[in-house]
Amino acid sequence: MPEDAAYYIEGVRAGNRKAISKTITLIESALSGHQELVYTVLDSLLPYTGNAVRLGITGVPGVGKSTFIETLGMRLIEKGHRVAILAVDPSSAKSGGSILGDKTRMEKLAAHEQAFVRPSPSGGALGGVARKTRETMTVLEAADYDVVMVETVGVGQSEFSVASMVDFFLVLLIAGAGDELQGIKRGIIELADAMAVNKADGENAVRAEKTRKDYENALHLMAPRSDGWQPPVLACSALEMTGIDEIWDTVLAHRRKMEASGELFRKRSRQARDWFDFLVEEGLKEWFYGLSEVKSLLPDLTRRLELGDTTAMAAARQLLELVTHEYERKQT
Amino acid sequence: MAEHPEKPRWIDLARKELKDKPVESLEKQTPEGITTHPLYTAENLEGIDFVNSLPGISPFVRGPRATMYTVRPWTIRQYAGFSTARESNEFYKRNLAAGQKGLSVAFDLATHRGYDSDHPRVIGDVGKAGVPVDTVEDMKILFDEIPLDKMTVSMTMNGAVLPVMAAYIVAAEEQGVDQEKLAGTIQNDILKEYLTRNTYIYPPDPSMRIVSDIIGYCSKHMPKFNTVSISGYHMMEAGADSVLQTAFTLADGLEYVRAALNAGLEIDAFAPRLSFFFGVGMNFFMEIAMLRAARYLWADLMDQFNPQDPRSKMLRTHVQTSGWSLTQQDPYNNIIRTTLECLAAVLGGTQSLHTNAFDEAVSLPTDVSARIARNTQLIVQEESRVTNTVDPLGGSYYVEWLTDQIVKEVRKVINEVEEMGGMAKAIVEGMPKMRIEEAAARRQARIDQGIDPVIGVNKYPVEEETEVDVREISDSVRDEQINWVNRIREERDDAEVRRCLEALTQCAESGGNLLEACIKAIRARATVGDVTEAMEKVFGRYVATTQCISGVYAGEYQDDEIIKTIRKRVDDFAEKHGRRPRILLTKMGQDGHDRGVKVVATAYADLGFDVDLSPMFQTPAEAAKMAVENDVHVVGVSSLAGAHKILVPQMIEELKKQGGEDVLVVVGGIVPPVDYDFLYNAGVAKVFGPGSMVTDSANQVLNALEQNA
Repeated sequence: MPEDAAYYIEGVRAGNRKAISKTITLIESALSGHQELVYTVLDSLLPYTGNAVRLGITGVPGVGKSTFIETLGMRLIEKGHRVAILAVDPSSAKSGGSILGDKTRMEKLAAHEQAFVRPSPSGGALGGVARKTRETMTVLEAADYDVVMVETVGVGQSEFSVASMVDFFLVLLIAGAGDELQGIKRGIIELADAMAVNKADGENAVRAEKTRKDYENALHLMAPRSDGWQPPVLACSALEMTGIDEIWDTVLAHRRKMEASGELFRKRSRQARDWFDFLVEEGLKEWFYGLSEVKSLLPDLTRRLELGDTTAMAAARQLLELVTHEYERKQT
Repeated sequence: MAEHPEKPRWIDLARKELKDKPVESLEKQTPEGITTHPLYTAENLEGIDFVNSLPGISPFVRGPRATMYTVRPWTIRQYAGFSTARESNEFYKRNLAAGQKGLSVAFDLATHRGYDSDHPRVIGDVGKAGVPVDTVEDMKILFDEIPLDKMTVSMTMNGAVLPVMAAYIVAAEEQGVDQEKLAGTIQNDILKEYLTRNTYIYPPDPSMRIVSDIIGYCSKHMPKFNTVSISGYHMMEAGADSVLQTAFTLADGLEYVRAALNAGLEIDAFAPRLSFFFGVGMNFFMEIAMLRAARYLWADLMDQFNPQDPRSKMLRTHVQTSGWSLTQQDPYNNIIRTTLECLAAVLGGTQSLHTNAFDEAVSLPTDVSARIARNTQLIVQEESRVTNTVDPLGGSYYVEWLTDQIVKEVRKVINEVEEMGGMAKAIVEGMPKMRIEEAAARRQARIDQGIDPVIGVNKYPVEEETEVDVREISDSVRDEQINWVNRIREERDDAEVRRCLEALTQCAESGGNLLEACIKAIRARATVGDVTEAMEKVFGRYVATTQCISGVYAGEYQDDEIIKTIRKRVDDFAEKHGRRPRILLTKMGQDGHDRGVKVVATAYADLGFDVDLSPMFQTPAEAAKMAVENDVHVVGVSSLAGAHKILVPQMIEELKKQGGEDVLVVVGGIVPPVDYDFLYNAGVAKVFGPGSMVTDSANQVLNALEQNA
């Protein structure tokens, strides 16, 4: 890995594929030396970020996310866009390894000059996905990709973090996979800016339409959103290329509306705030639990707590005083 | 029947010989999940309805013909084709003079995928794994001095089946042979291409139409021609056990029958011309029982369509010995393996047979190795006297019981497929492919641990390398072929070609028999590529969805010390470099054999690597782009079709051009040892030939990475 920040900054700005790729690796790296470099690089790139349409896409496995992204992505390239795709694949809890197979289903995008497709392993740590993807997204914006799509598997925590970093969150569905909400958590439906029933083709078309209506009805029962946007439920076929333009038009309509009302700016500010809060909290925790005094006191404290020798409140206070006392001492 | 009266006594004796271990300790678990016992008796045959059946009579367990080999032995049909039509033709003629009885044509991968030899996606493939056919002129040369009214010809073609079949018919016509006299087999089994091998062109629906158009055309015009060779061979080679091979093959067969019925054909008009193609490996009695069980099941499955002609229920099959069972290490062992597999196929009652040459683990057969392969069959056929009796193993307690077990297990899988709505639907869901890949990963893990012994590989390895001669395909073949097809393009009547191709596109769009339309275009000297494109306008080109399994490889490990050690090394690497070792596994050119790459992918992920998989059929530039964009440490190229010497150096060049000069390159697959130095000089760090253990390769990749860092 090059150690010169200018290599990354200039490379990304010049749209150099290798430099972009290395910058992403840098962001994803767990080495503390790399992290220092990341701050410098991201700071310098900051003025060039924020211009892309940030699109998050989720759905249960088998819904056809990758094929959908391939179709939409190629369509956008035809229209003159430069498209970046970030995909997060689960790492095995046992081995830590992963299979990053997204590009096998994005054959045309993978080979296209105007596309940058980067799958990343989710890694072990909680918040890992968000930590990597959010920063990576801004790097791609700085490299002049004007549409950035983030793909996430529709199970678990990852879609909450993805929804909190994009302008538009699209949930893909398939026809008739159970009457209930297809294993997608209700909370995720609430995050959706639009839903689309994929694979609405051939003998599936009728069932797809029924599913679409079901969701439409379900969405009407939800409380209206504060931003005034009513999430539509659409149908599409990545295979037959139908409904794809309509989805993109929806994304653009949403953007126009949110820009006009100032909501886009507010949303991004809110996201930045949330992200900031999250990072501070995470940072504090990591630092605090890493302190040798904390490490040595903690086991005994928890043991006493479990035995009922002390209360949770007192135990927490005792632990926190390890740093608060020190701080107060410095103040005076 | 009750237990054998002396069974308790036998158990006592056995226990003594076992030094008091229970007899149950001798039970063995087969890859199919069948538990075999050390001894079988008459009681094991109870309730098996086919035990005392007769050959030539339904359900045909003992053979499709009444007299079997006692009157006419199986056809020795060696699969071959390489370089140019001229060279292949000469090779065929030499073999026929030396005792081979039928021809079996191997086409190159460019032809399989419907590309002319000058297409940019086939630079490494022309003439490599088969013979290139661009126009009918190639087909005419291929069969020069081989009278097509007398010689049965088998053609392994699925993707570009229409132009190739058309070229064969027109070549015969220009030889003066009427098409109704043509006898032989076209593989025309597209469904299995989506499972393994991947030499499809169009999506499943139009591909099924092509199959039934060919069945329809032949039932009218070519009554002696086998219109589909429903193939399990490739599934076995991809890792399927005998039960999966049989189940998916028969389920494919059902799908073709239904397609033809839906196209309006009568069952007896086409079913007798469906033939099968099975692969036979080293599990000797299992292979024999599999062929017997397959015949029983097919007869049974076909009953639902009420055929009147008994031949409609008769499973006739070609067999090929397993290429996968061959090893690069100690290669003469392969002659012995092939002999055993040959005998199993014969005892199972095959109608024709290909025996592999011993050097096929690393390259195309030479004249010498091809002769040994052919003689293997001649010796079994003419010296061993196994042909004197029909189904000599009929009545064997063990073989009959095993046959019945396979029947039962296969039924379960077929029912599962039927519940999904048939094989075409199951394929779209990805179920059969996943099953096969799981079986492959488990098998690899068993070999890597030494549970399944492979002599010369994981047991009794030899130190010194055996040097074997290699048939090398000259790089000039592609240039020659391009000049030749260009000459034909210049001399043909372009307006006529255009008219024929437009008519073909029209036919694809609005109906009509596609083979008929193709024959006209091919006669006018349209190329295989022209014809393919004319239909592609309507059908599109199919892109497979790749799914990958995980956890299966490591899950098969009982003693996982080896796994732990590698995982530790991987974790150490991650600690030091800030991320896990990341490897891109890619396949370039038209080589669609993806079993190896899938097994390696799942195994490496289980060992802790981050594994990127590329789409199939990459160009060197595309593979390099992906390596750079994903910032991998290593690219692993899987090459099984002889294109490594062209495509690998090109990819390394591309890596340099795109800034990926620091990326390590390793190659795995069918690479003859004589090519290793060439690849090392081109910048390859490691080459892993057939029989390499995955754990061993992972360690070597880690070594190379540590050196590279």
